[in-house]
Amino acid sequence: MRLLQRALRRSGLPLAYSQGYNPRLRLVLALPLPLGVTAGREFGELYLTEIVDLDYFVSSLSAQLPAGLRLVGASAVAAESPSLASLVVANRYRARLKLSEGKLVKPALIESAAIKLMAKEEILMPRSGKKKKHISCTNVRPYIFELQLNLDQGADPVLVMLLKAGSDGGVSPFFLLHKLAECEPDSGSETWQWLVERESLYMISNGALVPLAEGV
Amino acid sequence: MMVDVKLETILSKVQKPGRYIGNEWNCCLKEHDQVSLRMVLAFPDLYEVGMSNQGVKILYDSVNKDQDLLMERVFAPAVDMEEQLRLAGYPLFALESGKPLRAFDLIGFSLQYELSYTNVINMLDLAGIPLYSDQRSRDYPLIIGGGPCCFNPEPLAPFFDLFLLGESEEALPRLLKAVITHNQRGLAKQNILIELSNLKGVYVPSFYSPEYYSGSFSGLQKLEKQAPGSVEKNYVADLDSAPYPTAPLVPYIQTAHDRAVIEIFRGCSRGCRFCQAGYIFKPVRRRSAAKIAETARDLIASTGYDELSLSSLSSSDYPAIDELIKKVDEALIGKGVRCSLPSLRLDSYSVNLAENLHQGRRSSLTFAPEAATERLRKVIGKRISEAQIYRTLNDAVTAGWNGFKLYFMIGLPTEEERDVEAIAELCRELRRHFKRQGRPGIRFSVSVANFVPKAHSPFQWESQLRMPALISRQQLLIERFKKMPWVEFSWHDVETSFLEAVFARGDRRLAPLLEKAWQLGCRFDGWSENFSYSRWQQAFKELSIDPENYANHKFSYDDPLPWEHLNCGVEKELLICEHRLAFNGQFEKDVRNN
Ligand code: SF4
Repeated sequence: MRLLQRALRRSGLPLAYSQGYNPRLRLVLALPLPLGVTAGREFGELYLTEIVDLDYFVSSLSAQLPAGLRLVGASAVAAESPSLASLVVANRYRARLKLSEGKLVKPALIESAAIKLMAKEEILMPRSGKKKKHISCTNVRPYIFELQLNLDQGADPVLVMLLKAGSDGGVSPFFLLHKLAECEPDSGSETWQWLVERESLYMISNGALVPLAEGV
Repeated sequence: MMVDVKLETILSKVQKPGRYIGNEWNCCLKEHDQVSLRMVLAFPDLYEVGMSNQGVKILYDSVNKDQDLLMERVFAPAVDMEEQLRLAGYPLFALESGKPLRAFDLIGFSLQYELSYTNVINMLDLAGIPLYSDQRSRDYPLIIGGGPCCFNPEPLAPFFDLFLLGESEEALPRLLKAVITHNQRGLAKQNILIELSNLKGVYVPSFYSPEYYSGSFSGLQKLEKQAPGSVEKNYVADLDSAPYPTAPLVPYIQTAHDRAVIEIFRGCSRGCRFCQAGYIFKPVRRRSAAKIAETARDLIASTGYDELSLSSLSSSDYPAIDELIKKVDEALIGKGVRCSLPSLRLDSYSVNLAENLHQGRRSSLTFAPEAATERLRKVIGKRISEAQIYRTLNDAVTAGWNGFKLYFMIGLPTEEERDVEAIAELCRELRRHFKRQGRPGIRFSVSVANFVPKAHSPFQWESQLRMPALISRQQLLIERFKKMPWVEFSWHDVETSFLEAVFARGDRRLAPLLEKAWQLGCRFDGWSENFSYSRWQQAFKELSIDPENYANHKFSYDDPLPWEHLNCGVEKELLICEHRLAFNGQFEKDVRNN
């Protein structure tokens, strides 16, 4: 975020700022990344003070992006159209099991854990209420839209999860990975380490879940 | 820089690998075979600290501007990184090219703080470079030092080939050019050093030999007849024409001061008697408002920062600063940049300034009265009266602030317990005063440092208060502030301050001690999580050095001082005069008028 803000300021584009002391760039990312998750492709909204040519926008900003960060595309929307954040209903994560040196995890073990997890009717996620003492639980099982395990020979096991997101509830991929490990207790599963990347965000278009890139 | 497989494995095992890979925005990459001289700027502390140092950015810019010169950077590897480097047998490398330090012609250490000295030794060792100057042939890089600690570098003297005294943005490129010339002539190291010692500000320690008489330093003998008897510092005559980076490095990982900085003036005219910076950075020179505004615009355009700091030792002393702020505001209008003005003087004028800058934001305001009684402030040369403190804070509270950060020092010359007690008393009285004014709930954050006598300040002859006394004065404050929950009290570690005092006025006999301490595992001594006083005690014991002979020693005016051959431009007579006035409780007239 900081990287992007600085790149934008360097670009010389006509950026819009919030009013008042401590003016902020009017830049909003569609859905903030959970801590510890790397980003595959992110979406954001930026307000400008005047209309600029899209190619010019892309080239001005691209020139200021450090290596490792690439602007895939930009499109102009009317200022009053619904915000990206309100459109996002799900996101897909890709979790790769990091096999620490020398230690092997039996694929069958992960598979059975995944089956057990999906067979549950209820997965309770504690949620601290406004008052610290009050803890309520949400059943997040319905938030798992899809769970898919890829066990390719010679590659690290990969778990792809399509999870609900949005202002009316969501679930962290790490919480589910933790629950997954609990499904196979006493098997060393508590030492599993996952590298999690967010692959894409999803919105609803014509009644179906589609990646944000196609829907917008 | 490109990360090879071996390094990648190393980096995967350390915290914050971002400290070691460079590639920051505005980073300068040059081919090693396209330039005549390759230098590494070595900062003996963590990346986050070094990258917050404006000097690093200034030198990086001023050297790399020259087509024929190259400067890369290296910072002290954190403890976990050192472990991995040693385990893998991977030599310390520069951030831009990833090349080992040994592949450079010259390594320049930035010496900002006495407690980073063991890191200097550690970095040399990690680079596979012999520690002592006389162990290094011409095949090794020249090891040079710069920065404020060079005004008494004696404890480090045997490790270094030369020190460059004073401000280096103009002098360093000059020195490097001279090195190129002498290298091309094929001179031996000794002869190169002789030639270089003729340049202003160059101090070659091996050309001078210290003498001791019954355990005390008794003078310096010059061994090389061409070397100057007294080394004069470099300083930039005109800031407007001096090089200043308009496209400085922008780190990707968060650093201590992550913002654009423009130095509005250099030096300080206040002359507080404990303050080394006030003396070694004389004379006061200022950058013109036009130049500052222009630089501010360029800085923001090239970095994308959203904060600009107008820095100096005492920012409210800039003449016509309102005009300056107006100009800078105009230059940055519509860019969403906020300005900050550190180091404010304690007066109503400053409150006004802060108010203009912080329109609407009401966080806390920072001031440094240093001492809580008027008597003691007179001794140390802080010209603020009790009434002024009240007036200033009053103005600030009226303007909407409800918190203050106050800096004090303890262990000052002539200080008594009641002066220390007065720190707590002042806070209590201020709080009461505001309560009466209908503003209860004013909070304070009080930070108390320990006085460390520094070379080239009027208090250079003074001793540091002995450790047990310092501790009991700290304890006294801790007790007092316990009853004042609205004061957030913090204090400096006494053992750290003691070591700082040992090295700040140390001589060359401390060099083997530094090596010993390093061997015993001392690193990052300025960081409480790494600092181990017992290791230092062991080092002192093994070498039979009594550190109190340094920290708690009182010099007389006639004593030869180990740093007297290094000239910071202030006459000894002036320091003596200031020192005398201190004990009469008088102020010298403002040095600005001189
Ligand atoms: S105001 Fe005093 S303490 Fe601050 S820099 Fe100037 S001389 Fe030093």
